[in-house]
Amino acid sequence: MSNSHLFLPSGFLRTPLQNGLGRYIPQLQRITLKFCKNHGGSRGVRDFIESDLMEFAKTNHGTVVYLKPRRHRSPCMVAEYLNGEREYLSCHEFSRDEVHKWLSYMCTRSGIPVMRFRKYQHTDYPTVQGVWNPFTHQAPEINVAEFPHGVLSKPIDHGQTATEQLIEIFKKTQIEDPVNKPSN
Amino acid sequence: MKRNFKAHWVAPTLREFKRRKVIEEDRSGGPKIFHRSTFLEWNYDAEIFAFSNRLGEKFDDSSLRAALTHKSYIEREKARLSDIGLDSNLHFQDNEALSQKGGEMMSKFINGYLRAVFTQVPEELISAMHDFLTSNSTLETVAKHIGLGDLMLCADFPCKTETYVKSFKAIIAALAESSGEERARIFVQDLVVTQLYGQDVNELWNPVDPVGNLAAILKREGKAEPEFRLIRQAGSNSILAVYYVGVYSDKHFISEGAGESLEIAKEMAAREALKKFFHTEDSMRALPFGRQLKNIQSKIEQLENQPNLPFSEWISEKVMSAVH
Repeated sequence: MSNSHLFLPSGFLRTPLQNGLGRYIPQLQRITLKFCKNHGGSRGVRDFIESDLMEFAKTNHGTVVYLKPRRHRSPCMVAEYLNGEREYLSCHEFSRDEVHKWLSYMCTRSGIPVMRFRKYQHTDYPTVQGVWNPFTHQAPEINVAEFPHGVLSKPIDHGQTATEQLIEIFKKTQIEDPVNKPSN
Repeated sequence: MKRNFKAHWVAPTLREFKRRKVIEEDRSGGPKIFHRSTFLEWNYDAEIFAFSNRLGEKFDDSSLRAALTHKSYIEREKARLSDIGLDSNLHFQDNEALSQKGGEMMSKFINGYLRAVFTQVPEELISAMHDFLTSNSTLETVAKHIGLGDLMLCADFPCKTETYVKSFKAIIAALAESSGEERARIFVQDLVVTQLYGQDVNELWNPVDPVGNLAAILKREGKAEPEFRLIRQAGSNSILAVYYVGVYSDKHFISEGAGESLEIAKEMAAREALKKFFHTEDSMRALPFGRQLKNIQSKIEQLENQPNLPFSEWISEKVMSAVH
């Protein structure tokens, strides 16, 4: 059950430029849809452009959409992100909904490459009270104590042994001695 | 045929291409890079529109274009036109003035935030944090990640650090011109000040003589002078010795510090004591960003022109209590 056989790189959660801490900036800078005006493989892309593209462009107004018709080539989309990364996706024989789905997937990504997350949380401040060291919570008396010590050499919370518990139960259940009872 | 079938000559050909490409790149000092505007799919107006929408801000078109135009670009265009022989009275405006104004505004906004959040801290640490936030490397990173690299009009490619920084400062001034100083302040808080997250502020500035300064502060406050006592020690005869020294004033514990030798531990203890006074310990409160600043914006504005106490006069009665 190890991950060393995987070629997918692994890393920790991160975001470019503390995105979201101040304001959220959509990381998709521009997207280029390349398609053929005739060929059947581009039909889904063409249908998407005719029907859903305007709404997409209006909702994601921070992203520039480029359309590049190329004859006799299969369709693809290239997404460019603010940190300089590019994502290529072939849209050959995609349906209109698939194009829409993959386009909205590209919108939600930052340019950080796909990787296996080692942990799903990250913090820059892992400790508030300070990391434990052997001196934490130690009584200052150990500095001048001679060991073995009557108190410090024993375990802190010893608890009652079974024998001591039985003696206590026995004492509670004992009938009081009438000689010792005060006369009233 | 299998899906990944390629003829026998394809692999050797590609290998030879790569070999020649590597030699060519080594000779010319790096792979060939092209500016995004040289691509066929490029629309500068659309890019500028998307830039302002991406940040959620409204810019005046002329201010924004002026903020992105560098002086070197105008000179290059003028030279090019006069070489051809055309009349070169271009109506471009460069970003020198805007950049100057933007730099001052940014410093002001940053100082306001730092003084409102770090109320107990001396002015030297505020300036150290301000210098870190306005350093060229920080601003260049921010500028690159907003997308200014493709939008700037400048003669140098790949663009120099100074060009990025100038454009970014000019953008701030353009924003103040277009949408008002309030929005420019929020912009700086959201983009520049957030770079302070994850930074240990005590690494940016350290007092030179912590022991002496601690004694001076306690004397000014009228408290007893600091007494350093050895609290813990282990392994004193070995390389991995550790000494814990505590600082006491009039038998009240202030702080403790650890070190490899007694002198180091004493200095660390004094540093911890000063951190405690300034409220910049490792366990200090998280810095507020974004919407958490809504209530203290007026306080930030007020403190933009009011420096904190300098270190030589620091005294805890004179500093305000924490705001957030």
